[in-house]
Amino acid sequence: MARELSPAVSPPRAAPARGGGRAAAGPPRRRGRARGWLYVLPALAVYLGFAIWPALNTLRLSFLTWDGILPPVWAGFSNYIKIFRDSALYEAILHSLALIVFFSVIPIAVGLLMTALLMGKVRRGMTFFRIIFFLPQVLPLVAVGITWRWLYGESGVVNQFLDLVGLGSITRAWLGDYGLALIALGLIGTWVMSGLCMMLFLAGAQKIDPSLYEAARLDGAGAFRQFRHVTVPGVRREITVAGVITTIAALASFDLVFVTTNGGPAGQTNVPGLLVYRLAFNEGDIGGASALAVVLTVIVVAVVSAVRYFTRDDQS
Amino acid sequence: MTRPARRAAVAALSVTTAFALTACAGASSSGGSTATKVNVSTTVPNDPVTLTLAYTNDPPTKALIDGFTKKHPNVTVKPQMTPFNDYIKSIKLAMSSDSAPDIAQYNPGAMNSLVPAGLILDLSPWSKAYGWTTKFPPASLEVLSSDKSAKQFGTGSLYAVPGGLSVLGVFYNKKIVKQAPKTLAEFEAAMQKAKDAGQTPLSNGALQVGGFHLWNALLNVTGDVNDYRSWVYGKPGATIVNPAASKATQTLTDWAKKGYISAGASATADADALASFAKGGSAFLITGNWAASTLETEMKDDVGFFLMPTPSGEPAKVASGASVAYAISSKSKNPNVAAAFLDYLSSPEAAKIEFDGGFMPVDTKADLGATGLRGDIAGVFAPVAQGNGIVPFPDFASPGMIDKLTPGIQGLISDKMTPDAFLKSLQESWDAHHGS
Repeated sequence: MARELSPAVSPPRAAPARGGGRAAAGPPRRRGRARGWLYVLPALAVYLGFAIWPALNTLRLSFLTWDGILPPVWAGFSNYIKIFRDSALYEAILHSLALIVFFSVIPIAVGLLMTALLMGKVRRGMTFFRIIFFLPQVLPLVAVGITWRWLYGESGVVNQFLDLVGLGSITRAWLGDYGLALIALGLIGTWVMSGLCMMLFLAGAQKIDPSLYEAARLDGAGAFRQFRHVTVPGVRREITVAGVITTIAALASFDLVFVTTNGGPAGQTNVPGLLVYRLAFNEGDIGGASALAVVLTVIVVAVVSAVRYFTRDDQS
Repeated sequence: MTRPARRAAVAALSVTTAFALTACAGASSSGGSTATKVNVSTTVPNDPVTLTLAYTNDPPTKALIDGFTKKHPNVTVKPQMTPFNDYIKSIKLAMSSDSAPDIAQYNPGAMNSLVPAGLILDLSPWSKAYGWTTKFPPASLEVLSSDKSAKQFGTGSLYAVPGGLSVLGVFYNKKIVKQAPKTLAEFEAAMQKAKDAGQTPLSNGALQVGGFHLWNALLNVTGDVNDYRSWVYGKPGATIVNPAASKATQTLTDWAKKGYISAGASATADADALASFAKGGSAFLITGNWAASTLETEMKDDVGFFLMPTPSGEPAKVASGASVAYAISSKSKNPNVAAAFLDYLSSPEAAKIEFDGGFMPVDTKADLGATGLRGDIAGVFAPVAQGNGIVPFPDFASPGMIDKLTPGIQGLISDKMTPDAFLKSLQESWDAHHGS
């Protein structure tokens, strides 16, 4: 279906080129390029104003001592030095690296598995599956968090289920357990992200030429080998996209942690985003919060670059 | 040829410059002068006056405004409500803007930068003119007074007055606990009895503030209040690493070990702990009188209130509490009218409104005629307030204190932190703010 769609899409896409052709009286290439910039400008202005400018401003603030009201004072690198001396940062970074496993690695695995199971077999119920699995993405994470806090509670559904299957001895308040809170929190992320990954992979897998599967079948490949050699390479780009999105979600996680554990118990689920928030809004240390935000950005960019490097398309 | 493009580029550039300029203005126009001379007067003029009042969702504010404007029909007070979480963040900017509200609900812990920036008025002249030190409970004004840098409280000038007080204590389920315990030992025995009967002794929301409220309530009865007061007000050289705090912390740890506080408390929000207690899920709940109206509705006559009992059994003289307080903007054009509103908050008439709104009245001698749960609360509150025994919550001691208190108590409950380490971590935050 996707293949049939593409020719239909092309003519409108060519429309701007026609406009460029009409202007061929002047130096065609330069003129076309200037026009191109004109189309980009409104978006560029918004992007500069609401993304680049605040980012630069955050960088500027990170070199100031400022409480939000009194005149700011130049602080040099002292905010950064203070942050790097605080052991809380390292713990928080470790926690968010652990969350990558739950927000990114497991959801991608689950997404691939679901894709393998759904590809080419279920036709009628497909929309239903998509809605069900995509639902966590539609709900605000704050609502998700509060609901899971109840599910995980001492007399919550999770423990009721464990009681029912005879595992009553291991029931506990999961998010309040010193050793297991981070894992419990991570599994909420797994629940949220798996649907997104599955949706991405299903969309990608539908582009795969059915003749490839046919050829593979003729060569005697079973379901697993078809999946391994046709489906997975076919959705490679989608895996990269999913990897990037979910990794950023893990590293920059804030809302989910804020409502479920608020970093507790005893700091076991602290993440950098939470520390930024506390510095800015509890302690009124805008400079320190900005410095930490800059550090977090650097970490996110570094990890995401690594993800992109390892999942890159070998051909390109 | 590329003129349109250039024009658009200029437009885009000016947009970003505008962003840059406004952002800079926001950052630098603050900190202005305080030296507007005001002729202090206690009379409200008869000309029409409009005041704006910024507040967050505490119930009595609107009713108090109505009460005041009924007395002074020429005065219009425009309320501006902001939900609590956004209020603290936005009020500082609002107060430094040119259209600052005349009166603003004020929290000296979270909003202390308003004082050094000169954005709120020193109320001392009005306090003298109206005699506020006798109209408001002295302890409630202490918290709202500070030095010019707003680091040390209980000294210096008055910056706000309360329009309703609250008090921290213990609610009990009368179906489980027949009588309010008189001593700390009796309280423990009652929790043990509940536990033996298979009930949850204590509901606690240690995910949020419930955990350190419990610690605070214990601290109020284990030692000398003056040590705590010096510490929480930021008096130079004060420390929380002292025997009374050790004892309170040890008691909390013991209670957790004995199973009075469950490990699940660390993942329980205050609202969930309240809901569980209201449904009869536990014998006790430690929180403030603000929970009273919910509990009355849910539990009818089955709920009572007492202050954390002392080890010796004599009535508690100290309890923690907070107030809804109001400050006047230094940019207000009608500070005398605003001050008249603040004075109104101490009237017996306002006392009724404050009490009905779920707060304890500023006029502690007002006859409230309350019965049941509210009667319990009013009965224990009045002597403490009149004896200057209401002290602020511990998160007041420094801006980052709440981020030491909440995880610290969770560490104590899950037996991962020792009482000594807990107290040291609190003192670290205190030292970082006040200087050791």
